Amino acid sequence: MLTFTLRRLASGIGLLIVISALAYTLLFFSSSSIARNILGDQATPEQIALKEAELGLDQPLLVRYLGWVGAALQGDLGRSWFNGEPVTETIQSRLPVTLVLMIVSIVLVAVFAAVLGVLAAVRRGWVDQTVQVGAVIGDAIPGFVLAIFLVTIFAVNLGWFPAVATIRPGAGAEAWIVSLTLPVIAIVVNYVTSSAQQIRSAVIKELEKDYVRTLRSRGLSEREIVLKNVLRSAAPAGLTVLSLQFIGLLGGVIILEQVFAIPGIGALAVNATVLSDIPLVMGVVIITVVIVMIVNLLVDIAQGALNPKVRLS
Amino acid sequence: MKSTTKLIGALAAGALLLSGCSAGGSDAGSGTSDGGDDATRGGTLTLGQLGDVVSWDPSQAHVGHQFVPYQLVYDTLVLREPDGELSPMLATEWSYNDDRTVLTLELRDDVEFSDGEPFDAEAVVANFEHFKAGNGRQAVQLTQYESATAVDEDTVEITLAQPDPAFEFYLSQAAGLMASPAAIEAGTLETDPVGTGPYLYDAGSSVRDSQSVFTAKEDYWNPDLQKFDSVELRILEDLSARANAIVSGQVDWTTLDARTADQAEGAGMQIIPDYQVDWTGVTFFDRDGAINPVLADVRVRQAINYAVDRETLLEQLQLGRGTATSQVFGPESGAFVDDLEDYYTYDPDMARELLAEAGYEDGLEITLPVIDGFATQITAIAQQLSEVGITVNQVSAVPADYVADAVQRKFEAFNFNLFQGEAWVAINQIIAPTATYNPFQTTAPELEELIPVVQEGGEGSEAAAQDINRYVTENAWFLPLYRIDQISVYDPETITVEAQIQSAMPSLYNFAPAE
Repeated sequence: MLTFTLRRLASGIGLLIVISALAYTLLFFSSSSIARNILGDQATPEQIALKEAELGLDQPLLVRYLGWVGAALQGDLGRSWFNGEPVTETIQSRLPVTLVLMIVSIVLVAVFAAVLGVLAAVRRGWVDQTVQVGAVIGDAIPGFVLAIFLVTIFAVNLGWFPAVATIRPGAGAEAWIVSLTLPVIAIVVNYVTSSAQQIRSAVIKELEKDYVRTLRSRGLSEREIVLKNVLRSAAPAGLTVLSLQFIGLLGGVIILEQVFAIPGIGALAVNATVLSDIPLVMGVVIITVVIVMIVNLLVDIAQGALNPKVRLS
Repeated sequence: MKSTTKLIGALAAGALLLSGCSAGGSDAGSGTSDGGDDATRGGTLTLGQLGDVVSWDPSQAHVGHQFVPYQLVYDTLVLREPDGELSPMLATEWSYNDDRTVLTLELRDDVEFSDGEPFDAEAVVANFEHFKAGNGRQAVQLTQYESATAVDEDTVEITLAQPDPAFEFYLSQAAGLMASPAAIEAGTLETDPVGTGPYLYDAGSSVRDSQSVFTAKEDYWNPDLQKFDSVELRILEDLSARANAIVSGQVDWTTLDARTADQAEGAGMQIIPDYQVDWTGVTFFDRDGAINPVLADVRVRQAINYAVDRETLLEQLQLGRGTATSQVFGPESGAFVDDLEDYYTYDPDMARELLAEAGYEDGLEITLPVIDGFATQITAIAQQLSEVGITVNQVSAVPADYVADAVQRKFEAFNFNLFQGEAWVAINQIIAPTATYNPFQTTAPELEELIPVVQEGGEGSEAAAQDINRYVTENAWFLPLYRIDQISVYDPETITVEAQIQSAMPSLYNFAPAE
């Protein structure tokens, strides 16, 4: 298990290097008038040249990238070109908001999906049909449409929730709960049916296997079979779907954060990209890649724990 | 089987209960987490802002929506009243010498910065030098500034290279914001504003690009300007987020567009009436034909002006919220000329005639850069121009580089919303050879003669400004479409607010708690 984990870590670091180099190169070519944008439309050519030198924009790409890597390895992601704040501080203040939103959502998705998926597989009939139809609808409605729908009804009309987030530094749990409830519901509704569908298929496949018949013939109750054996075998499929959904959410939350004005990393990414604030964009890219790596690693470890065969492959 | 169902049922019920709990809890909780708005309405002013300030350093201050945040923490030397009149603030009186190149300011002697530093003549000098060196977004305000001298503790003399009729106005804007010299020296203003203003910035409760929190300063020298216990700026870049926030009562004021305005009005919000600040339309940069020779012909530019149906565009694009016009100067600018309002009426035949005269009966092409916000407008213009044989090539542009590229002569023309300020301000923005939005530096002998007259100020100034207006309108330097109604929405239950002339957002001092 240890070598397995180390191997995954090594390949993750390789990926991180490749992605950071690619992102840096792409940003390099998309930021022609960055100095002028920072200084405003009245800036003189001399001022612009000075600013470019200050930001190192007059250096060749490779020199700039290596400089960035060197600092990043020491934990310094630089300062925003526009407001001068350290990138790591900005990310530290924004990341928890996004992570809480994502983790709470995905845990709820997992619970509901497991319940619905197992129910659909075991009971079949109308429960099954509802889950199937729900999967199609849930996939078809974009999260932000759902979000706008929810916000119109529950925030604007009924006033049960704030229409825009009230989270701030030092805000109590209450602010987090009322601010994140609608976005979480939007995500859960959007994602739960398709994962339920996956779990349902996996459970049905397991239920058809010989060992289930053997277990049944031994007189084990259906409940015991499903919860102890079938679910364990079907779990890897569910985990894979959930991890993919979690990674997909990294993109999905961007729009939700805009709609609800949630001070998370998604809204930050949009701002930084629009401004071509390279240090900030790179920071967001790196943290995103790291999150994806961690999620994949955790899923792999969980898969390995559930099914020893995975560790060998 | 039965027990499985029971278990699952219990789980589902538990989950529902949980979500029910949080929903119920929030109902009671939203009032407090909201900044206590419900309990102490009027105590907190919450503004739904379009974006955050780039820096709290006043040398980086901007105009309109971007200016109000600075008014919270900094005072200006001069106060601009809602109708544009200039009143004393940190400066109690001011006067020019005869050739209007030396301005003497008398200062208040009872004001301190929030770090305890005294506000005095030396502080004013330090701020001018800092603003000049900072080379920020409104650097143009100190173009004519040469030097400032402290005559005594509360008298400052400002020397200008040339007369600047807008200089006193600038002292009510970015160039007039006064920061603590100690903080300037320390270089910490970017994230930690220190001024003499009515409120103190609460960095601990603020999140960049999300919300900024301010609390009223004890013993502020002018309590009349301090109408709330605290102020919150909510940064709501998304239009629907702003609409939801104002309708649901989370902010007291915000700015919307024509489409969301109806929704807000339907929910009992009020829109400040007759509030026009920007004109929208096309600026022809390349009037000498460096990129596209067709634009050098005045008949082509006039033809374009005759070929658009302004009223229809206004109705379709802005739901009628605005005023169609053929001139780029606003009614309060001093350069406004009544009969230029409809100088170009919709007349496609006239347009075709002019094009034929210019030798383009087979049509011609112009190119416009397109960014998100203007895509619909440009398509509508292009559609109308195609009726008279003008093809508009729409080239997509990068929003962040739009102005920068314009300044660097990458476009022959562009579509924008431009500010309608005082005549002299507008001339320096769009007409003078040094103007930002005259990148090809086109000019004419008539203008060369008139511009200095406006600059002199005094009697002939207004007539000269009107002549400039007449010249650029007749020679079709622009394609003005209409003045846009500023959709400035507020909740009449919580606050009152008054328009600020020539500013996209009402001044901080125009907000007051509702009675």
